[in-house]
Amino acid sequence: MHIDVPILEKTVAVVGGIIVALVSAKALKDDWTSVGIDNGVFKLMLGLLCLGAVIALLAGVGVLGNFPKAA
Amino acid sequence: MAVASMSHGAIAEHEGADQLYVETRALRLQGFLLFLVSDCVLFSSFIFAYLYMRNSGQGWPPPGISRLDVSLGALNSVVLFGSGATMHYALENWKHNNFGRYAFFMLATILLGSAFLSGQAVEYTHLIFVEHVTWAGSGIFGASFFTLTGMHGFHVTCGVIYLTILFLQSVHGVYTKDKYFGLTAGTLYWHFVDVIWVVLFSIFYLI
Amino acid sequence: MSATAVHAGGIAGHIHPEPQGFVRRYIFSLDHKIIGIQYLITGFVFMILAGLLAEVIRTQLLHANGGFVSPDVYDEVYSVHGSTMVWLVVIPLLTGAFGNIIMPVQIGARDVAFPWLNMISFWIFPVAGLMLFSSFLMGAPVAGWTEYPPMSLQAGPGTSMWAAAIFLVGVSSTLTGINFLVTIYQMRAPGMTFTRMPLFVWAQFATAPLLMIATTALAAALAALFIERQFGVPFYDPTKGGSPLMWQHMFWFYSHPAVYIMILPAFGMISEIIPTFARKPIFGYKMIAFSSMAIALAGFMVWAHHMFTSGLAPYLQLPFMIITFIIAIPTGVKIFSWTATLWGGKIHYTTAMLFAIGFVGLFTLGGITGIFLAAVPFDLHVHGTYFVVAHLHYVLVGGSLMGIFAGTYFYFPKMSGRLMNETLGKWNFWLFLIGFNGTFLPMHWLGMLGMPRRVPEYDPQFQFWNDFASISSFVMTFAILLFFINILWSIRNGKKSGPNPWGGRTLEWQVPSPPHYYNFKNIPTVFGLPYNFSQPLPYKGLEEELTDTPVTVGAH
Repeated sequence: MHIDVPILEKTVAVVGGIIVALVSAKALKDDWTSVGIDNGVFKLMLGLLCLGAVIALLAGVGVLGNFPKAA
Repeated sequence: MAVASMSHGAIAEHEGADQLYVETRALRLQGFLLFLVSDCVLFSSFIFAYLYMRNSGQGWPPPGISRLDVSLGALNSVVLFGSGATMHYALENWKHNNFGRYAFFMLATILLGSAFLSGQAVEYTHLIFVEHVTWAGSGIFGASFFTLTGMHGFHVTCGVIYLTILFLQSVHGVYTKDKYFGLTAGTLYWHFVDVIWVVLFSIFYLI
Repeated sequence: MSATAVHAGGIAGHIHPEPQGFVRRYIFSLDHKIIGIQYLITGFVFMILAGLLAEVIRTQLLHANGGFVSPDVYDEVYSVHGSTMVWLVVIPLLTGAFGNIIMPVQIGARDVAFPWLNMISFWIFPVAGLMLFSSFLMGAPVAGWTEYPPMSLQAGPGTSMWAAAIFLVGVSSTLTGINFLVTIYQMRAPGMTFTRMPLFVWAQFATAPLLMIATTALAAALAALFIERQFGVPFYDPTKGGSPLMWQHMFWFYSHPAVYIMILPAFGMISEIIPTFARKPIFGYKMIAFSSMAIALAGFMVWAHHMFTSGLAPYLQLPFMIITFIIAIPTGVKIFSWTATLWGGKIHYTTAMLFAIGFVGLFTLGGITGIFLAAVPFDLHVHGTYFVVAHLHYVLVGGSLMGIFAGTYFYFPKMSGRLMNETLGKWNFWLFLIGFNGTFLPMHWLGMLGMPRRVPEYDPQFQFWNDFASISSFVMTFAILLFFINILWSIRNGKKSGPNPWGGRTLEWQVPSPPHYYNFKNIPTVFGLPYNFSQPLPYKGLEEELTDTPVTVGAH
């Protein structure tokens, strides 16, 4: 069976992006009230991780990223 | 002045030891965070260099070089971000004393981290041998891409090794439910490496 | 920083057993005081080497047509002179030496936060220095301490060695910055809030983020230079798409904060010395403390004032000019505060005080010429001339180096238990003052008349003042020789100083000279600023420090 590799990559990126974004957002929400500098840094990192997952997701669906124009 | 006997009672010793742990943990945490800040400055300097060179008016990518493969980059990114999520859960489970789940998530993190490195290897191989884009021979495109992603890949490699060592240490009982600063440091480092990749992915693959 | 005054994160640590054996005590020591002295000795050795290189420069410039060394060797000489003085002398002495020797005791701690890191930071330093000097064997760097490409790309292997050596000493700096920042933030004695800290500690606290952040930016620039030279990866070579201007941006983004690294700790020492010998509280404590932080922050925003002639657009030159002018304000605040401290005080003219007062005067002169240089139209005229050389030596020698001398005279008794010789000290000071001004004052008009810097020969119209400068530099060198003779003599024959020869009020003067390896038998509690000379000392718990009571290993 012929698999178009870029389509596979994009699918994994989209699915994985959704999963990671949801998971990290939930983790962030659960830990929101914790105190202390290390917890603060973790919250920041989780937020950025969520952002990154969203970015990767958008790249997977083609919204972000300058894809080469078809000839 | 004479240096006399060793110290006092068992109870005082125990309380003193806990207090001492809390205090030295604060030192180590702050020191580790500052190390991450300086590492951030290192990456920022090279990112500045890349953006400066890219802005030098030649158009991007430079003539003769095609754009990077966004889908592969996105896949690789998701793998790395996934490892960040698993790392978070590894630490959470450690804090709740679930060694089995901790081990699962820790090993998953190490696996995903290694998968990211393999993905980078695929990307590099494609660039070097198929597209003939090399570190030294492709002008500022090759220079900036391979230097920055190479530095990042080096950090991920060190991270994978570090997490493996931490895992082995945790198996050997170095860390307890209450004293696990090494694992905290490892998690911070791993998240840091993730966040750097968010920036690198955006500036190399997306813009 | 906590809300209540009592618990200021006082992490003291146990008294550990005394280290045994010569190697553990003096070679691979974890004790900040020993490490500080190691930095001091190594820094002084490099000072002598770099000073000798300076004398080669001044000898070459005795004659308008040079002739002492070849032009290529001359390039190597001033490049290594500058690099050594900045990275192997002033920065290690002010941060690694004086910072380590004094700061932990001043905050009432037993050591720094990471003693192992401290030891590693030190040992990197002589290795890096050896690497730098070894470059003479393979063609030392020739493009000045600033190593602009394309020249630095085309020069011999020594430039790569230079890059590696400076990268390494930069790692040492960065680790020291992290160490000091955590130490000051977390390990102050109970009751020592930020606004009860001695001003030397404030100075190190302002310098530490510069060490941490700015030095890493330099590391990036050096790494790029190295891989471009060794592996051909294009960053700065315009023929391959790189940009020489980018090096200047990256280099100066570090090197401007670096000059604040080279002066802030000296400011801190002056702020300790002047009130002590004027027997008056320091004027404007809070202003001095906060101005140090302001200088550290603003120091990151002015780097391109070193690049006014590099083709920057005027709309870029203007903000850099204005912010540079603005940095003069917090610095001026300090100068006024020190002067106001002197006013009405009972001045004791010890050698340390002479150097401190000399610092205030000479650094002010250097600062003023800095303001001249900040003005773009003026800078366009004198950039790359001896005017800049004059400015930088007034602030770095009239400033930093005088600060180092002052600090040595002031803290030598604390380190060794003996006073330095005051007669030799006064000869040292006056000869240095005369020699220094004779050397560098004429360089102002030499530059304005058009003599470029980094030249092995010059137009005969500049002959007289170059000779004047060179002869004066020999006087200055002799004065520095007296300084080292004084140190060597005083180690053996200096008068015993006791714990507090100067009547100082900060914590380091309340313990023996030299302090025990554990610094304090009991960590004191602090409840006020140290500078109120008419009040009793603002500490509690120091009763046993100068007595013979035994300590308990493991005690907190």
